[in-house]
Amino acid sequence: MTDLPRVRPVSDGVRDALTVVIAYIPFGLALGATLASLNVDPFVAWTSSPLIVAGASQLVSVQLLSEGAAPVIVVLTALVVNSRHLLYSASLAPYWRDWSRGTRAGGAYFLADPMYALAIARYEGKAEDSTARLRYYFAMSFATWAGWMILTGAGVLLGAVLPESLPLELAAPLTFLLLLLPTLKGRPAYVSAATAGIVAIIAAPLPLGLGLIAAAIVGMIAGAMTERMQAA
Amino acid sequence: MTDFLTLVVVGLGTYAMRAAFLVGKEAKPPALLERYLPHVAPAVLAAIAAPALVAPRGEISLTETLPALIAAAATWLVWGKTQQMAVALIAGLGLWWLILFGLSFVS
Repeated sequence: MTDLPRVRPVSDGVRDALTVVIAYIPFGLALGATLASLNVDPFVAWTSSPLIVAGASQLVSVQLLSEGAAPVIVVLTALVVNSRHLLYSASLAPYWRDWSRGTRAGGAYFLADPMYALAIARYEGKAEDSTARLRYYFAMSFATWAGWMILTGAGVLLGAVLPESLPLELAAPLTFLLLLLPTLKGRPAYVSAATAGIVAIIAAPLPLGLGLIAAAIVGMIAGAMTERMQAA
Repeated sequence: MTDFLTLVVVGLGTYAMRAAFLVGKEAKPPALLERYLPHVAPAVLAAIAAPALVAPRGEISLTETLPALIAAAATWLVWGKTQQMAVALIAGLGLWWLILFGLSFVS
């Protein structure tokens, strides 16, 4: 599968990134506005975007800092909230195998939720060589990253004057649903998604986003078990 | 300054987790995880989406949950027909607004 027609990893990557960035507009602006409203220097709060590149834990960190929590508590909390990134790292490793070490180290910096979702959907859906995979990943992730910097920055600056005209709370979850759909190939995937979704809803009251990681682990186990039963 | 340095440490720790299995001599996931890796994507993404789909504004109730689930179903349907993320998102959000708009007259 080398001579595939009409494969344009860079422009595909930028296009996919734009779709996600547009969907992230409400969340990014709202997050920026929230960061600016807290008891932390607005610019310092915004630096969480390039430093952490993960909305939920940026909010958690700055929120805790503004409440005067001890730095060690802030760090531990944010890292628990971010633990899913370990799974992303393991999941993409087979696809990045042929890249140089420096390239992999650079790519890891951008590995946030939407970048992972778009990358894995592309890798599972298209048989491309590792150069095309690299081009897609860096075009997509840099464009998404840049969008996140701009959106959260705009939210910090415009925070107070954002109109509350349209309810947009559903934009982010619908986007994640759309990132999920391409990964639903075969029964094990459906089982792991359904199980994880149900566990996540039940475990939502747990602190530190622990419900999310618990749900992910239970879902993965359910998926692996389904696969085994199919093979038997 | 303490605030900034704390965020730097959170960033470094987050980077370490992202890089964990990607920056060794070889990019290699742990053998123990091998069997579970194909299921990471559907499990994590469903775990992120599901709670916010049943409680988009933080509460689970008939008038909050049902419209969101209908919008999610519509999003899924439109994506199945068009394979276009943007189109499906606009369709789902638009339907959600319509339902909320209708509900605002009833309640």
